[in-house]
This record gives sequence, structure tokens and C-alpha cells, in this order.
Amino acid sequence: MHALILAGGFATRLWPLTEKRAKPLLPLAGKPIVQYLVENIPAHIPIIVSTNAAFADGFTEWIARMGRSNLTLAVEDAHHDDKKLGALGAVAEWITKDAIHEDLLLLTGDNYMGFRMKDFLEAYTEGIPLVAAYDIGDREQAKAFGTVVLEAGTNRVQEFEEKPANPKTTLVSTGCSILPAATLPILQSYAAQHPDNVGGIFEELRRRGQEVTCFTFTDTWFDIGSFHAYLEATRSLVGERVLLGEGAIANENTCSGSVIIGDGSHVTKSTLKDVVLFPGSTVEDCVLERCIIDSHCTLRGVDLTGKMIRAGTELIHPALKNGKARQP
Amino acid sequence: MQRYFALLVCWLLGDLVVFVATYALAYFIRVGWIFSTDFPFERFLAVSIVVAPLWLMVLIGTRTFALTRRQRSPRNMAYILYATVVGVALFALAYYFTFGLFFSRRLLLYALALSATGTWVWHVLFEQILRRALHTKPVFRALVIGVTRESKELIETLNRARSPVVPVAILDGRGAKETEIDGVPVRGKLNKLEDVIQGERITHLIQCADLEQSLNLLSACRQHGITYMLLPSVLGIVERDDRVTPLEGFQVTAVHPRGGLVSWLFE
Repeated sequence: MHALILAGGFATRLWPLTEKRAKPLLPLAGKPIVQYLVENIPAHIPIIVSTNAAFADGFTEWIARMGRSNLTLAVEDAHHDDKKLGALGAVAEWITKDAIHEDLLLLTGDNYMGFRMKDFLEAYTEGIPLVAAYDIGDREQAKAFGTVVLEAGTNRVQEFEEKPANPKTTLVSTGCSILPAATLPILQSYAAQHPDNVGGIFEELRRRGQEVTCFTFTDTWFDIGSFHAYLEATRSLVGERVLLGEGAIANENTCSGSVIIGDGSHVTKSTLKDVVLFPGSTVEDCVLERCIIDSHCTLRGVDLTGKMIRAGTELIHPALKNGKARQP
Repeated sequence: MQRYFALLVCWLLGDLVVFVATYALAYFIRVGWIFSTDFPFERFLAVSIVVAPLWLMVLIGTRTFALTRRQRSPRNMAYILYATVVGVALFALAYYFTFGLFFSRRLLLYALALSATGTWVWHVLFEQILRRALHTKPVFRALVIGVTRESKELIETLNRARSPVVPVAILDGRGAKETEIDGVPVRGKLNKLEDVIQGERITHLIQCADLEQSLNLLSACRQHGITYMLLPSVLGIVERDDRVTPLEGFQVTAVHPRGGLVSWLFE
């Protein structure tokens, strides 16, 4: 079996955090999102991370840091989202290029899954596609995912609908699946017509009468596709505490909710609530709530709520330019 | 940019020439088409040449030469009139301090009328030259953020008016279906911001949507030395009579109630 992690999206909804890094490389409670996936996959399974040319350098550095010998990179030659192959197109290209004839563990790089991958792999029956599903509990939210209708009392998928307008169920596909080697030609022909529709492959398999099974889990799961989902995932993993990175300094602050202060960042005399501060930033005399501050920003004397701030931003209140403090 | 500076120098020199020429014309209209010995033309000309740069500095201070200023607008006419009134006052004082003499008050009125009219006509004419030169081969290249009805109207107006600030690319935070607006290409979402800024040599960024990204767009502008502009409709201001005004040292954007001329003038 090979594992393929899809990490080629441009994640425009998370701009500007994804301006210079891929979404799966965004830090989640101290380490990249994709790292949780990789650490969960048994060591004997080779892993390929599929990304695009724009983010290849970031993944190359991360792979070097990971030190896992069977972790490699497949780079799609696309610098922008209008030139990319599409997620399923990238899978098909990799299958053709590397002549893959083995079962495929297919994962999306921006998903955090709390279950043990070992359990998922044990649920797999040779030759029968398996999809991991989570009961999201809300039909409105289910519209954004692939929904899975099970045969009563079994784990067999009766119907799979990708992003339905009227979901029949709240059980949704989570971007973790196994495609047996025998189904890869179907994937390749389907990808030629629908290069962006990863979930659609399960609709296609069902349409062709192929049996598909489901691994239902109740552990934590996050599809980190937006600012709110990113903060929600951070809150869930960090809880009500402050995480200080290496070399980070925090003095005279009032913190509540989940606060992450990245490596080498300095925070003083500030009020922080649910804030993620990337490495190398300076925050002084600020009030920040529900904010994600990218690396190497300097914020002095400003109040921000619900903002993502791009790397290198300088926001300094004029009063603080003269070394004074703002009035409380 | 060199082309713009060359044009600007021509414009400023033209203003100096117009100032001196209209004063000379006022002299001849008042004195007659002769060189008077009682009121020598050489002295008159010398003082007008000395005063001209001072007058020009006053005019520059009104931002009349700003790229975004429409020369035909009533506001601009008012600024030019104000500067020429100051010019006449400077001229009278300079002449008196230099030669200890006053002279015809009607001549000063002629000088005021001619210099104000001459300067305004020259500005209107030069604006056409400037727009023709800067719009065809853009020097000031604008990136428009947001595909909205307001941004479409803005782009069409800039193109129709042959504005020196030329829209060359559009980005839309949510991804627009349109591929171009009035010939300006929609290049994609905000993830292309850096590429477009560098590739298109952007000098101006006009935000017409995506209010939540104002901080980041401003940050990009500061990093690249780009002029940032915000369409008031992004803030929900559609009246088109908003003003940036000081409030105890804070610059605030004010929208006054409809028809409230008194409040607009005094509040």
C-alpha cells in the first residue's frame, strides 16, 4: 500500500496565511497540519505528498525536518490555481507516472483526524474501497461535504453524494479513504473528466456497482478550510491555555482562550483571546481577539478582532513610535 | 516615471510663463501698447518674474497638480483663484517694498482676472496632454480589488476619462466569473496579489471590496511603496459626498445628512 497526501491546493480562503505556504503546512497547535497525518501513518507505508510548484520548497524543507525515509514529494508543475491539474487529476497523473499498481491510502492534507490510522487500516477488506466518515450532526453543514448513506445495520455504503443540495444524512466523508489497486483504472478515467472532484470517485464506484464500505468514527475531526475552522481546530487541540514556542517571550499579558505564541515571538503588555501568533512577531500594548498573526509582524498599540494578518505587517500606533504607552 | 516628471516640469514651467505673460498683458492693457517712462515695464516685468515662483509654490500647496485632481472642477477653479489672489497681493507688496511705489489698482484687477483665467485655461489644456500621454502608455498602474458594480463603474470612468491612473488588473477575493471589465483583465483571487503587484509594476491599489482584507492590502501597499485608495462604498458609504475631516486631531470620514448645508458648513 502507498499513502498519497493531497496538498496541492492554493487555499485562497485562508489568504494571506497561505500566500507563501501551503495550507497543510500551517501550524496547528505547534506543528504543521500535515504532520499529524504523517505521524499517524504506520512507518512501513511509503508516503507521497502531492503539491504544486509554488509550495514545493516549503514541503522540501519540512520533509527534511521530518527525517522519515519513505516520505517523498510529488510536484505538480503549477504556480497558480488556474493552472493546476485538480486534486484528482494530480492523483491520476502520479499513478500513471509512478506506475502504481498497489492499494492507495488517499488523504487530504488539510484534514485533522483524531482516530488511529491503524484502526482505519484494520477496517479495510482487501479489494473493497473504504471511506472514513464522521457524523457532523447538521444537514446544512453536510452540504459542503460528500455524504454517505449506509445500508441499514451494516458498514456498506448504499449511496454517496458529493456536496448534495439536500443531504439525506449528516454522515460525511472526511478526506481519508482506501482505493484498492483494481479501482485505480476507474479513478484514472474518471479523473480525466472530473479532475477536481475527489469525492466524486466514490459516486462513480457506486454507479458502477462496486461495493464500498465505511469506517465511521467519533474522534475529533477538522477540515481546516477557513479562518473559523482553523481557529476552531486550534481551540479544540490547545484548550484554555497559552502555548509558548521556543525562544518566545510573554510578559505582563492578560490571556484567555487558546493562545499560541510562536517561536521567537515577543508579546508584552497585551490582552489576547484566542490568538495564534506565528514565529518571529512582536506584539506590544495590543488588544487581540480571534486573530491569526503571520510571521515577522510588528504590532504596537493596536486593537484587532477577527483578523488574519499577512507576514511582515507593521502596525504601529503613532503614540508608540515615540516610546510612550497608549492610554488604557 | 521619467516621462511623468518631464511632463510635470513642463507644466510647472508653463505656469511660470503664463503668470509672467498675463501680468505683462495686464500692463499693456492698462498702460497702452507702449513702454512708459513713468511706470517702466522693465521694473514691472522684473517683479513679476521674482514673484512668479512664490505664487507657484502657493499653487502647488493647493495640490492643483495632483494626479487625481480634475482641472475643470469648480473646486480646482477655486484653488487657482485663491492662488492668483495671493499672487496679486505678493506682487503689490514686492513692488512697493522694492520701489516704494503703489500703482494702478485697475492694473492689479486686470492681472488677477488674466492670471486666474490664463492659469485655468493652461491647466485644462495641459491636463488633456497629460492624460493622453499617461493613459496610452500607463505610468501610474492601478490594481483594482473586487468585482462589484461600483468597481465596474470606476474602471469604466477611469478609462473613459483617460485618467492618468490606469486600471491594469483586477483581483477578487471570492473569485469572479468575469474574465475582464472594460478591457481590464480579472487575474484571479488575492493569492495572486504579490505576483500581480510585481509583474504589473503596480503604483496604485484601489480597494472596491473585501473590507476584511483592508489591513493586509494596506500592508502590501506599505511594503511595496504603493498608494492605497479605498472606495467609500466598501464601508457602505454610497452618498458620494463623504469628506475626510479632522476631529480633535483625528482624521475621520464624515457623511452629513442629506440637504443639511448648514450642518455640512459648520458642524
